[in-house]
Amino acid sequence: MNLITDLQNSAPEAALAIIGLAAVLIGAIVGEGSRLLIRTIAVAALAGAAVLAAQQYGSGRLEAFGALYVATPFVAFAKIGLYALAAISLLVSGKSLKEAAVDRYEYPLLILFAALGGGVMLSANSLMTLYLGVETLSLPSYVLAAFRRDHVRSAEAGLKYFVLGALASGLLLYGCSLVYGFTGSASYDVIAEADLSIGLTFGMVLIIIGLAFKASAAPLHVWTPDVYAGAPTPVVTFFATAPKLAAVAVFANVMFSAFNGHETDWSPIIAIIAALSMIIGSLGALTQSSLKRLLAYSSIANVGFALIGLAAGVEVGASAILVYMAIYVVGTLGLFVGLLTIRKDGEPLDTIDDLNGLAKAKPLVAFGMTVLIFSVAGIPPAAGFWGKLAVFQAGLEADLLWLVLVGVVASVISLGYYLRVVWAMMVKPSDSTLDRSDWVEVAAVVGASVAVFPVLTITIQSLLDAAASATLG
Amino acid sequence: MPLIAFYILGAIVALSAVLVVAARNPVHSVLWLICAFFTSAGLLVLIGAEFLAMLLVVVYVGAVAVLFLFVVMMLDVDFVELKQGFQNYVVSGAAIALILFAEIGVIAASIGPGSNATMDPSPGADTNAEAIGAVLYTDYLLLFQLAGLILLIAMIGAIVLTLRGRPRAKRQNIAEQTGRKRKDAVELRDVRPGEGV
Amino acid sequence: MISQEAIALIIVFAPAIAAAIAGLGQRVLGDRGAMAVTTAVVVTAALLAAYQFLAHVFGDHEGGAHGHTVVIANWLSVGNFIADWAVRIDTLSVVMMFVVTSVSALVHIYSISYMEHDPHRARFFAYLSLFTFAMLMLVTADNFIQMFFGWEGVGLASYLLIGFWYKKPSANSAAIKAFVVNRVGDFGFALGIMAIVLVVQAPAEMLDGAGAVSAAYLQQLGVAEFSSLRFETAFAVIEQNALVQPVGFSGALPIQDVALDFLGLHVDALELIGVLLFIGAMGKSAQFILHTWLPDAMEGPTPVSALIHAATMVTAGVFLVCRASYLYEHTVFAANMITIIGAITCFFAATVGLAQNDIKRVVAYSTCSQLGYMFFAAGIGAYQAAMFHLFTHAFFKALLFLSAGAVIHGLHDEQDMRKMGGLRRKMPIAWAMMLIGTLALTGVGIPAVEGLHIGFAGFFSKDAIIESAYASPDQFGPMAFWLGVGAALLTSFYSWRLMIMTFHGPTRAKQEYYDHAHDAPWIMTIPLALLAVGAVFAGGVFYDAFVEHYQAEFWGDAIYTASENHVLHDRHYVPTWVLIAPAAAWITGLVLAIIFYGLLPRIPPAIGESGGPLHSFLSRKWYFDEIYNFVFVRGAALLGDLFWKVGDKTLIDGGGPNAAAAISKATGSGVSRLHTGYLFHYALVILLTVVAFGAVVIWSMVS
Repeated sequence: MNLITDLQNSAPEAALAIIGLAAVLIGAIVGEGSRLLIRTIAVAALAGAAVLAAQQYGSGRLEAFGALYVATPFVAFAKIGLYALAAISLLVSGKSLKEAAVDRYEYPLLILFAALGGGVMLSANSLMTLYLGVETLSLPSYVLAAFRRDHVRSAEAGLKYFVLGALASGLLLYGCSLVYGFTGSASYDVIAEADLSIGLTFGMVLIIIGLAFKASAAPLHVWTPDVYAGAPTPVVTFFATAPKLAAVAVFANVMFSAFNGHETDWSPIIAIIAALSMIIGSLGALTQSSLKRLLAYSSIANVGFALIGLAAGVEVGASAILVYMAIYVVGTLGLFVGLLTIRKDGEPLDTIDDLNGLAKAKPLVAFGMTVLIFSVAGIPPAAGFWGKLAVFQAGLEADLLWLVLVGVVASVISLGYYLRVVWAMMVKPSDSTLDRSDWVEVAAVVGASVAVFPVLTITIQSLLDAAASATLG
Repeated sequence: MPLIAFYILGAIVALSAVLVVAARNPVHSVLWLICAFFTSAGLLVLIGAEFLAMLLVVVYVGAVAVLFLFVVMMLDVDFVELKQGFQNYVVSGAAIALILFAEIGVIAASIGPGSNATMDPSPGADTNAEAIGAVLYTDYLLLFQLAGLILLIAMIGAIVLTLRGRPRAKRQNIAEQTGRKRKDAVELRDVRPGEGV
Repeated sequence: MISQEAIALIIVFAPAIAAAIAGLGQRVLGDRGAMAVTTAVVVTAALLAAYQFLAHVFGDHEGGAHGHTVVIANWLSVGNFIADWAVRIDTLSVVMMFVVTSVSALVHIYSISYMEHDPHRARFFAYLSLFTFAMLMLVTADNFIQMFFGWEGVGLASYLLIGFWYKKPSANSAAIKAFVVNRVGDFGFALGIMAIVLVVQAPAEMLDGAGAVSAAYLQQLGVAEFSSLRFETAFAVIEQNALVQPVGFSGALPIQDVALDFLGLHVDALELIGVLLFIGAMGKSAQFILHTWLPDAMEGPTPVSALIHAATMVTAGVFLVCRASYLYEHTVFAANMITIIGAITCFFAATVGLAQNDIKRVVAYSTCSQLGYMFFAAGIGAYQAAMFHLFTHAFFKALLFLSAGAVIHGLHDEQDMRKMGGLRRKMPIAWAMMLIGTLALTGVGIPAVEGLHIGFAGFFSKDAIIESAYASPDQFGPMAFWLGVGAALLTSFYSWRLMIMTFHGPTRAKQEYYDHAHDAPWIMTIPLALLAVGAVFAGGVFYDAFVEHYQAEFWGDAIYTASENHVLHDRHYVPTWVLIAPAAAWITGLVLAIIFYGLLPRIPPAIGESGGPLHSFLSRKWYFDEIYNFVFVRGAALLGDLFWKVGDKTLIDGGGPNAAAAISKATGSGVSRLHTGYLFHYALVILLTVVAFGAVVIWSMVS
């Protein structure tokens, strides 16, 4: 096993790291004048990484660096989404970055490194790789949350995220060390074979908590509303999509590959986390007036739905998680970009009331966002419904009827706030004039809405098949 | 003998850790932290990991703790004010801590004689510096590089959050400075009296 | 030469396409375009249907003896629950296709002029064509499900057309009434279909391993595929008294011995099916008890009344009973029920017709009464006579309605006969047409002379029914006979009353209306003339084929008569007085009408004003509406109010959605308040989670 083979087998991450380091040099040498160049390089690199991940998806199990790094079709599937979403969220954020006065060349670099971290933690086959991947994702995230450093809420968001993230990292690391101590290895393969012991179980719980924090599942979601509300909207667009997908997928991957033998121990815990996420997410969003906060709670609830698939176990749940998250993040991406498009005097608007009369002012965006909301809320025929159906089916197959019932009730409650947004856009009259939208953003909204309906709805079967083969491989 | 040393050092580590939190004066807190680092290094020496002990002293005591000391002194944080609400949470905090300790105690109690983790300070080498060096660039190349990358990101992050380009600040431009010619700098004028320049 | 199947398909589907074009494309086409398209298409369909019908009557009867089916598409296929979109071509459907398309075509033409000033003409024509299509679907069905589709389709079209002038509250409520009353019948029909599916199931020993019906059983039944829904299968099973194993039965039984529990009664399955299907027929054909919607349906435009509520849709019930002759030949109770209900309706409606003053309502009650004739004919086994009367009635009743329409149209939309009179001079054509219609309706002809076929259409068909009733060995035959003759007398009386009150004597109309009264334009006269031809000749020409010498060959296997049923034959041997009785009845009626309305015109209004109990009993239509209103409508409204205000609003809404919404909102704001924004609270939550989950797993591991 030489270095060349290792790099070939870990091609997406290797390429991203090399290009990212090169871009850091370019930025350091050229300075602020290289903003556009570096952004272009980053988008191209992420898109290329997505293509390379697609190649990994097609080539079965790939090992590198002495099996510290393993790419299975399951993680490759998630990585395709991760890199593609990162690329798109970077692509569409150009104008809003400029307007928020945070258009600096470090921004694309941090997104790129965060995506790299997501890829590493997904491909981790050892708790050490996992931890380093999580940190590689987290550090740029803290900085990104505070990126608009002169803005007090942004700085607050960064600080809160950092402190709580450090706490969660500590718990994750403590869990890893316990598991290492009680199994004698950090490798997933060895852990999976190990006998059950109290130390291993407790370590597993701590790892679950650390990962649930990353995925913003309740009750470890506490940072999410504040960070989403405070961080700049382009950053939240990224947070809510690529890392979210990666976090849920890596959660599933760790549970399924390292702790697969102890499913009876972790499944009830995941089920509780899923139920709490759905309930808190749905109820918390009901009374929000801030759109970003509302979407934060919505993302908590949706992670809960995805975790139903995790609680259901590997055989029935794995593909459901991938399908659910893939559909969800596309919808969320569109929604956040939709928020980006709506500005008044250069400032992004935030409350639900700011959407009043959008259907008149920007019919295309309003219509697209309505489709996206329908998808995220899981109303047929939009694709989100099929995702929800997949996780509910998985839950039922695993005899988690109570959890599915909680999910159904939460879905119904969630309609209360989703439809409020649609109502504001479609029915309420407007009292202000909005700025012109960037065509890239409008195209992204419309593209995402076309993707969730009808494209994904029509191709849902092939998506399900692809996800199913990803878990079998 | 090593066992006695272990207990003594362990007690000191635990005590200094408590004092880090309990000390009223923040400078004292940092000093207790340094104490904890030193004694931890001693624990590492006890198990034969001299290289790690060295690193701990050099990096944590020499760099990190001293940096902390500077920051604490410079910022002059009013810790007394920060601790104002402490009493409100002391009961619940203590309860949580107690349960957590109990849980960890149960886990510790479960470690039997046939524990899986074995200890070898310098596997396959004479010294542990050599052993670490041997795996760092081979088996754990990925992790090592990733750690480096994380540090790079941390650096970039720190720059992003703190560096401010000051448009009015005067900076030295060496190229301009050295490329200066006499005729650019000095102009001879023949000034007649009573007329000005 | 296009094939017979292709012709049938064109006839059935052309109106659907026309309806779609006119309905969806009315903005593009405009009113004239929509009218032109629908009328042209339906006229074409009518010509094809006429060709098909005449070829069938005068052509080679052998060819038409066996019906066949053109399958268009498979609709349902679940085990033995198979139904196709199909066009069944046999004598019954050929006759019905002719009746439906020809009357429909004439009504289309008539409406061009009649609806001339209506702003929504395109919609009207689209509805008419839609109705035509639904009715054709009904009559050409080869299974119960498609028939039900057509059944509901005509119900819908009827609803839309009765309420065509939707700004009129009375039209709206009439449309709703028609729909609701029909729903009662439809419920019976649907239950009947379900009962058929329940009962007609192949026995377990006739199934192979995969649950498919064995070839031997199929061969025994003579069908290619076993489907309880298909007429072919269901009727073959009944006819052969084949073994069936109803759902939930453990063994096989001959179908005639199957008994079911229904509403706590243990009843013969075939009787039950027969009664349920007949309830459906009662609703659609406005039979006694379920008749109340038909007179109110006259709120619709007059062409609609002629097409739907006289000639075609209301006869669907009769068609259903004749179609199910295989079934009713093997039932006693159900057949008797048909006879009784039919006879009562025929007499009852005629009595109510005596006291009505609205010209359309008189004709409507007459329709109701004539349908009663058809039903009791079918009930005693003379399905052919029923179909014959259906056929002739379509022409003369459409003629009567359209003539009435011409009168109304010419007299400034006046419908009250008390404000008419003396119109013969102003409207000679309408008078002539109405006269022909009346002669046909009252059954004027020369009876009791062997071999002499002279008379108006109604004469042949009605007399055939009355004679069959007398000849029937059925225990309710005599009752039907006497009620039929009595109704013939009443029919004659109210028909001539209508003629006299409308066209003769001094006018009672407003002078300006009377002065402007005029005959209908030529475009309305053409359909009248064509229908008049039908009203005169349809009886004599087709007498032989429908009920006389060739009837067995003519009907083939479309109508089944059991071997012991020879009522059509026996009616030749009734005493002469029976033959003369209907004639005596109509002459008596005529004389009475002339006396009361021609010679002594003061008496009837005096009776009306004196408000005697009999008159108000009749003019209030036996108080049916009042009773229904009191029992069902008010009862339902009270019950509904209870469920709505107490059950739904207080209990369900209050305890369910509203409470849930309130709770969600309250907990929601509670949840948001939990997110205080303080870091140490968040850290506390995380640590609490650690402690809690840790405790759970450690507890579960230790214990």
